[in-house]
Amino acid sequence: MSAIGEPILELKNISASYDAISVLHDVNITVRRGEVMALLGPNGAGKSTVLKIASALMRPTQGSVNIAGHDLTGAAASELARLGVCTIPEGRGIFPNLTVRENLEMAARKGLAVSVIQERAFARFPILAERRTQLAGTLSGGQQQMLSLARGLATDPVLLMLDEMSMGLAPIVVGDLYEQVQAIAAEGVSVLVIEQFARTVLGIADTAVVMSHGHVRFSGNARDVDEATLSSAYLGTK
Amino acid sequence: MNEERITQFTEEVAELKLRGAKGDNERWLLLIGSIMLVVGVGLGVGGGVMASGTTNTADQVAAIATGSLVGLVLVIAGTALFLRYSMGRFIRFWMVRFVHEQRSETDRLIAAIEKSQK
Repeated sequence: MSAIGEPILELKNISASYDAISVLHDVNITVRRGEVMALLGPNGAGKSTVLKIASALMRPTQGSVNIAGHDLTGAAASELARLGVCTIPEGRGIFPNLTVRENLEMAARKGLAVSVIQERAFARFPILAERRTQLAGTLSGGQQQMLSLARGLATDPVLLMLDEMSMGLAPIVVGDLYEQVQAIAAEGVSVLVIEQFARTVLGIADTAVVMSHGHVRFSGNARDVDEATLSSAYLGTK
Repeated sequence: MNEERITQFTEEVAELKLRGAKGDNERWLLLIGSIMLVVGVGLGVGGGVMASGTTNTADQVAAIATGSLVGLVLVIAGTALFLRYSMGRFIRFWMVRFVHEQRSETDRLIAAIEKSQK
């Protein structure tokens, strides 16, 4: 098991806007090596915008994005992906009309043999091995999410960012998936999990950030996120 | 994940050269390609007209060399740039659209199968 280490992703004083509408205000987030960070908040809190900025799909209007101690604000998303910053978007991001095996092949990181990728994916998710010739679109929601995770791992990531992984899945399936996420982090991969459903992810997260209206309302140990913090962010209560 | 991978990641991040917005470069290269294409065709036609307008062999060779050959080179280079940057953009758009349509089609198919099984 890998201990939590040096910062891999640091968002410093990030502000962002969509045209004239400001959506993030002075957001500071640090994800360390081997850490699972839960980024929580209600709809419209700015969580997905944080993800877009961290993965270079969007440029902040202010602040910097540091990766492994280097300021990479303005880097191309494709370059970050090539280095090992992997984003799994909401909606899974798989190719439904390709088979499980073909989906894994499509995600192969340069230099990593397809056989190695399959071996890793099937060892972690044995059900995918049974369904390797099945079209991805015909898998169950949980299996599609497993494939999505396996595709992410095929890129040999150092930082894995997951957007709303639990969406549309049964709680038991979500629990299994988050166990896998915890195992991935234990191997030293930094994981940023964006979730609307706080309870699901707080059980496995090391740290948590709670956002509402583009502001960070709480940042600290996941165990310290209490009802009052969540109510304040989600319901606007004091 | 081992230390080697982390070291490799850190080194690659340090070596990463930040370029400006790539979209801007693409627009400029597309424009340059288009201009080269037009100028190349112009030079080619001009060279041809000049060469046919004289009976002096030396003038004809000069017109063909500076007009038609340079024009041809510009047309080839301009066409390559134009195709690369106009088609690249179109193909990216087409791929996204294709994936989206395939996904919707599969969803509809699965919904129909599930409906027929009930």
